[in-house]
Amino acid sequence: MDAIKQLAARKRHALNRRAFVRSLMAVGLVPVMSSALPGKARASTRHATVFTWGGFDVPELYQDYVDAHGELPDFAIFGAPEDGLTRLRSGFVTDLIHPCMGDIPRWRQTGLFQPIDTSRLSNWPDVIPGLWEEPHNLEDADGGVWLVPFDWGQTSITYRTDLYDLEGEESWDILWDERYAGRIGMLATGDDVWWCAAIKAGVPFEEIHTDEAFEAISAVLREQRPLVRTYTDDTSSLNQALASGELVAAMTWNSSAVELTFEEVPVRFAQPKEGALTWVCGFMMHRDAPAPDRAYDVLNALISVSAGEFLMGDYGYGHVNIRAFDAFDDETLEALTLSRNPSDILDAGHRSIPQPPEWSARMNTTWERIMAGF
Amino acid sequence: MIRRHHFHRPNRGLQVYAVFFMALLYAPIMFIPLFSFSDGLYIRFPIEGWTLRWYDELLQRTAVLRALENSVRVAGSVAVVSTVLGVFAAKALVRYRVPGKGPILGFILLPLVVPPIIFGVALLLMVSWLQIPLSLYTIAAGHIIICLPFAIATLLPRFEGYDAAMEEAAADLGENGWWVFWRVTVPIILPGIVASLLLTFTVSFDEFVMAFFLGGTDLTLPLYVWGQLRIPRAFPVVLALGTLILLFSFVLVFLGLKIGRRGAIKLVDRD
Amino acid sequence: MRMAVTTPNETALAAGRGQSAPRWLLARHEGLRGLILLAPALVILGITVIVPFAMMGAMSFWTQVGFDYADDWSLRNYIEIASEPIYSTLLLRSLGMAMAATLLTVVLVYPMAYFLAFHVHRNKLLWLIIITLPFWTSYLLRVFAWRVVLGFEGVINTGLMEIGLIAEPLKFLLYSRTAVVITLAHAWAAFALLPIYVSLEKIDRSVLEASADLGEGPVMRFFRVILPLSMPGVIAGTFLMFIPTVGDYVTAALVGGPDARMIGNLIQLQFGTINNWPMGAALAITMILAITVVGLMFLGLMLALKRWAR
Repeated sequence: MDAIKQLAARKRHALNRRAFVRSLMAVGLVPVMSSALPGKARASTRHATVFTWGGFDVPELYQDYVDAHGELPDFAIFGAPEDGLTRLRSGFVTDLIHPCMGDIPRWRQTGLFQPIDTSRLSNWPDVIPGLWEEPHNLEDADGGVWLVPFDWGQTSITYRTDLYDLEGEESWDILWDERYAGRIGMLATGDDVWWCAAIKAGVPFEEIHTDEAFEAISAVLREQRPLVRTYTDDTSSLNQALASGELVAAMTWNSSAVELTFEEVPVRFAQPKEGALTWVCGFMMHRDAPAPDRAYDVLNALISVSAGEFLMGDYGYGHVNIRAFDAFDDETLEALTLSRNPSDILDAGHRSIPQPPEWSARMNTTWERIMAGF
Repeated sequence: MIRRHHFHRPNRGLQVYAVFFMALLYAPIMFIPLFSFSDGLYIRFPIEGWTLRWYDELLQRTAVLRALENSVRVAGSVAVVSTVLGVFAAKALVRYRVPGKGPILGFILLPLVVPPIIFGVALLLMVSWLQIPLSLYTIAAGHIIICLPFAIATLLPRFEGYDAAMEEAAADLGENGWWVFWRVTVPIILPGIVASLLLTFTVSFDEFVMAFFLGGTDLTLPLYVWGQLRIPRAFPVVLALGTLILLFSFVLVFLGLKIGRRGAIKLVDRD
Repeated sequence: MRMAVTTPNETALAAGRGQSAPRWLLARHEGLRGLILLAPALVILGITVIVPFAMMGAMSFWTQVGFDYADDWSLRNYIEIASEPIYSTLLLRSLGMAMAATLLTVVLVYPMAYFLAFHVHRNKLLWLIIITLPFWTSYLLRVFAWRVVLGFEGVINTGLMEIGLIAEPLKFLLYSRTAVVITLAHAWAAFALLPIYVSLEKIDRSVLEASADLGEGPVMRFFRVILPLSMPGVIAGTFLMFIPTVGDYVTAALVGGPDARMIGNLIQLQFGTINNWPMGAALAITMILAITVVGLMFLGLMLALKRWAR
């Protein structure tokens, strides 16, 4: 992953240049500023609110919005998109929320979303069509889309190349390796885990709703539980544990492997022979979005070239803007497990299939029980 | 007292224990400042390099400052409201022969012994049924419930501790109720009021669970921290923030102590 | 508690000024005046405690269907809680872990409270503030700080390996029930300490001297005089800490492993990912009942001990 290291070196240099000047002031300034804050008037126009994972609330992804409106949009953070949906259903209103492609039909059943008019997005022509042209994204969308794609990638395994002794090909078996009992980390999000376990159990995704599939998937996850050190949906914990060697392998998204490599931890983002779980995520708009115009500005910023360069170069997630790929050479992209032609990666793995709410409830309940040891 | 019993003598064992206890209490917390200056993204020993860049990044994050502002606002209003209500309630409970005093007191103190998650959940149900949008106000409402018992528990002993004759004397002089309250009662219970304000502010400022259920898009500081904990890159920044809060509360407490001491002397003089 | 003194002057005053009937009534019926002063607090608590709890109780008898609820008033959720082992296991585990943490805290905190009450004579307030100061930092950060201490490359493991006591990092430290209990004990220390300190401080020093004059040694005196007299504080501290910790889920989520999941985690999930609010309500109600039962048992035990001690 030398290409990634070079990327890191370039960034660190840039960081150091701007960093030091204000640093000393910061220590003294923040308390002073904060004490003066309550009297400060808030901007009168309402910013758009973005409901997303932690980590997608950084200025680099919203450069065009900041340029236009002077400030970042507002953010609300969820642990998993399902948590976010539950909150929206309890009356919480944000302009945009960040689910994945497979969630669209089920989420639409809540009646909480409005189609997005892509003609209002100036960057839309640069968005790779293969990432959004799906029947359930276009259905009843009045010529627009329900979800504007933003990031894509894989759910796979990040393992320590120095601590994990790989025998043969990379495979999902890494996470079921009894030699490393107590040193395996897992995501806690059912939406990732359940599908990955289906791959491991050899259950075709078309049959995932059947009782047999439930049993087969539950069985592999129960078998794995004694090996698992922690189930968590914060990548910070997983990365920390991988960095310290507490874990030798963990189920993660792209960003963990990339960020650990930046920190010079010897890891690899596995390409399991059975195929990884691949996904495309993006943003849906709330039916009662309080600041729809600004929400469009947010979307346009998110699918811009500059956001794409940051998303890929810093987090290692794929972006949707074809021109954003120009900043990277093929070697770097390959090291990041990305491609100019996303379908090369997405189709090589398995993509989840939309399921009804009842399935989702059953899956999440079963998964919670398995995690608790039942 | 002429004879000195051995329970007045210093006890070596207990002194050692006290030092041990304080070390145990403080040691884990001291790692927050320590690692906020560490160059690496991950917490590990030995620390390889030292940096101030996390403080620099913190300064650039308007979201932190906004969360801080929100927290100060919520905690400030919660402290004032629950203390004012607490003063009335405590006065009523001590001064008047209220029917059903025992059960009322029990009811007021009830939130102290109900897990916050239960309150968070129950209030979320009500708020969403009434279709009240989640916001800083709903968080504040939740916090008032848990802060009110603290306020009353802090204020009750103050009211019990002074002589009602003072108020009566003032009333005898023909002063009306409010005047008596402002000029006689408030100064006497002032230390209680200050303690109650401080305590309720602290409780609200750091409350996470109810805020988690009742919060809207405006984040309080604990909610912000919760979101940031999940992001490896943001974590050291959170440590920097924690360090500053720690520093700030130390300064605040010791300032408060100094002022408080002067205030206490003044009060004694007036007595 | 001091009872209010009747104030004939006030009545006379009110009558003398020729005030209108309601004011006179107020002056006359101090119970009414008291209630009016109490009203704001009671109304707020009434709305925010009774109504939500009633709703929660009602909802626990509903059923989640897809994205909607069916208000079919069935016992289904409770039957599921009673019949599926996961719920009772997690509930009992939470009670057990909260008990362990509370016991640990009370035992560790008592000597410190004793020291403060009997051996610190100057700057008591300063001591108290220094003890409570750590609790002014974010609870989440305090929990996180324990990860630094207990972690694989944490302080304890690095330290022990440095001095050669262990060859490999101890794994049971983090992501375990031990970690949750230790973290909870640390996080709630002040809550347990303050009531114990107050009750020790209240003990009349002359009682101690009397006991000493009767020739009782320090150990006897502690068990026969000080401990029983400080029991109200111990009980208050126990309740103040035990009850909230049973419902804790943040600590378990951050430092607990798969075997340290608590009932709070499960409740939170019902209102999040699993999205079954009626079930979450039923679990919450079950948890309150369980806590009440345990609380009453503890009080009963204390009463029995008291009687036995006599």
